[in-house]
Amino acid sequence: MNEYLTLAELAEAAGVPARTIRFYIARGLVDGPLKAGRGAAYTLEHLARLERVKRLQAEGRMLSEIGRIVGGVEAEYAAEPTAWWQHGVADDVVVWTRADMSPWRTRQVRAAIDELARFLHKERKE
Amino acid sequence: MSTTAASFAPVAAPTGEPIRLAMQRLWLSGRVLPAGARLTVQHVFRSGEDKPLEVVYSFPLPRDAALRAFRITGEGFEAHSELRQTEEAVKAYEQGIADGSLSALARQYGDGVVNLTVGNIRPNETVTVHLEVLAGVELRDDGFRFRFPFTLAPAYHRQMKAAVVAEGEGEMELPPSQFGDMILPRFREDAASLHEVGFDLSVLHQLAVEEIGSPSHSIRVRQDGMAPARVALAPEKDVPNRDLVLDVRYKETAAQMFAGATGEGKRAFAAIVPSTLFGVNTEAPRRTVIVLDRSGSMQGAPIAQARKAIEACLAALSESDWFGLVAFDDQVESMSAGLLSGTRENRQKARAFLGRVDARGGTELARGFLEAARMLHGGGDVLILTDGQVAGTEQILAQARAASIRLSCLGIGSASQDRFLALLARETAGVSRFVTTRERVDLAAVDLFASIGRPVASGLKASSNVQPEPPSAVFAGTPILLFGETEEHPGAVELTWDGGRLGLPLPSGDSETGQTVRLLQGSRLITDWESRYPSEEALAPLEKRQQSRVGARLLALSQAYGLASREMSLVAVVKRAGDRADELPETRVVPVGMPQDVRFGSYFGGGTTGSFTMMAPMAAPAAAPAAGRGFRLGAALQGMITRVRLPREVEAEVSADPLVELASELEPDGGMPGRSASVRAARSVAAVLAFVAEGHTLTAGAFRSHVARLVGFLKSAGGVSDREKASIERAIEAASSGSAPRGDWLALARAPGAEWAKIEKALKA
Repeated sequence: MNEYLTLAELAEAAGVPARTIRFYIARGLVDGPLKAGRGAAYTLEHLARLERVKRLQAEGRMLSEIGRIVGGVEAEYAAEPTAWWQHGVADDVVVWTRADMSPWRTRQVRAAIDELARFLHKERKE
Repeated sequence: MSTTAASFAPVAAPTGEPIRLAMQRLWLSGRVLPAGARLTVQHVFRSGEDKPLEVVYSFPLPRDAALRAFRITGEGFEAHSELRQTEEAVKAYEQGIADGSLSALARQYGDGVVNLTVGNIRPNETVTVHLEVLAGVELRDDGFRFRFPFTLAPAYHRQMKAAVVAEGEGEMELPPSQFGDMILPRFREDAASLHEVGFDLSVLHQLAVEEIGSPSHSIRVRQDGMAPARVALAPEKDVPNRDLVLDVRYKETAAQMFAGATGEGKRAFAAIVPSTLFGVNTEAPRRTVIVLDRSGSMQGAPIAQARKAIEACLAALSESDWFGLVAFDDQVESMSAGLLSGTRENRQKARAFLGRVDARGGTELARGFLEAARMLHGGGDVLILTDGQVAGTEQILAQARAASIRLSCLGIGSASQDRFLALLARETAGVSRFVTTRERVDLAAVDLFASIGRPVASGLKASSNVQPEPPSAVFAGTPILLFGETEEHPGAVELTWDGGRLGLPLPSGDSETGQTVRLLQGSRLITDWESRYPSEEALAPLEKRQQSRVGARLLALSQAYGLASREMSLVAVVKRAGDRADELPETRVVPVGMPQDVRFGSYFGGGTTGSFTMMAPMAAPAAAPAAGRGFRLGAALQGMITRVRLPREVEAEVSADPLVELASELEPDGGMPGRSASVRAARSVAAVLAFVAEGHTLTAGAFRSHVARLVGFLKSAGGVSDREKASIERAIEAASSGSAPRGDWLALARAPGAEWAKIEKALKA
């Protein structure tokens, strides 16, 4: 593979349409080409970044979140702390939930955790 | 040349700074016929950037719609689109972008969502795309409803993800494996700072028009006899947070025929045949399951109205009818394991069940109607009350077809899922209506319920020149629409059904009508085939798609009618002096307004800026039904959908329609309740007259089946005097003639005793 790629070559190599790559660049998920104008070029680093974005998407991350993770334009938020609750549902099982969930969702999640705890307790007894 | 509204300059509310909008204006014009609409949608894009801009605008297609062509204009240029196979169109667009040329691509995705992408708009340049769209309308015997989406509703999908990305702004993503590279817009809670929208339409009609109105927008109507009516937005501009809904009501009910030459000695035609030409409802017992969407987006007035509507629908059942009730979100709950007869006890059971139904969770529509199918064992009808806000509709449609049940749909909402619900009903031989939240959901439900289950004609067949095939059954209130082509002049359409036949001669017409009708036929055929194209097939590489029966059919239809589909897209590249190759344009996605009746929090709830919400487990399979003592965490987690569940007291108070209340009181034998036969008869007479006074008779109006049941009860009423019998006769006569004397009939129908004296007095007045 050449050291420098056109956008079309990058799109084909990554399996990501060119329009999507431009969209990612605009959102700061991927850096722009090495130089603007005629002969704009992309490198294997761009390809690696695209592969990483795809991987993170497959893990269920949203583009906004990926932007933070890969340190694009939203990098200033990256260090923002988040609070989590730890629920010990059995001696050997812990469930983590975000502390800033809305009350209605907290109720839903708690119901599911209670159900899990009851199930694990019952399974152990049987 | 471009026509940017110079006066339009939105500012950011917190700062007062002007907002730079990539798209400034969306304006709808064109001709609306009873058989469909031929529209031009003008999109005005403007770059406020100091570098080239690429703008992506996402919109949903209306019902039975297809894109035909676009024209792109700007300072010193005008270009027309070409219809090319999608791969070629994308390639041409990308080459245009790489060459630095202004390029535009209109590409259709699943669920009828279109991405209109315009790239390389130069700094401070204004570019206008005039997009021609063919679209269908919702037909009724006495008129039609035209609906055009000015925004895109968020939609539930098991694998969707959503996040709040800014104050009052949400973002939603769908899995690329099923939706390809489709780009969704951001959803803005407040649409006031977005692009302006408006419309100016001609409405053509063959029958004299009683009224043209809109439950969605303030309109100006200019109407002069049988000339096309001009309907325009009354204010200068509006915001993109709801569909345009136009209602046209005729003074009479009759067949309408449109025809005209299309070249090579052929003529295209469209025929609208009202249900009244086929017959009237039979009184055969029916088997019906009502399926209520209780998902979070139904919260507030829609679900409260739907509950009342279902009670009134059930009152139209007799003891010989069988019914079931299912509520679904991402879980399904049935009132009973099987169908129940329409006894008083069972209706009370249904009322108690409805009282427990709150809005919550996601919209697993297929699970709702599959439960109904199980209860019906293949025989009967399903009525679904839903906002239809779901993605991946092709998969749901496949499940509906496989279930072999007849689905009728009542859509509720201000932003269109009309295309999907119309398909869901049509593909299963049912009927659909879509109402806005500004209208009474309960009345529409009662009206639809009166017509389903008892077709006025079955086994319908049309002459071979009709395509697509007509529906197998016809239902009261809903006409059938036929498209076709003939080489005969003047030619005719022949219809036969079980016990009847009808011949309708075609008019000569003009070639403009002929061309329009042919395009409407094409857009209808493409929509039908699009609905049978699952995403895994539609997103496959070209070589595989060429082996797909649906893909090949769509390609052939696109080529034959010159209309876009997922197989063919529209592209234009404008080469101009000064084009600079390989300059990367800045990509912007045009945000849209949240539909006005959908709470921002119902999709993006609980989050603050920068928060992320996984809406449903990734790649989660449908939760298996709980069996025995099996662990149900899967089902519990499926319920963790980011949609707010409001306490009942927060739901909007729905003012009860007195007629809905009255209808819900009917006993299984069709009469009003009461402590004696005389009281029951007196109250039933008053109830008939209350319905007739509001325009509901034995054959017309939403409460026609309630009137029929009351009349049936009165015909066999005993324990009354001769004088009282005379009043009963008057009421039965009024139910046929549609004329009721003045009187406080509602109060008399609700009176605890037999108010015969007051009834007789009012009847004599």
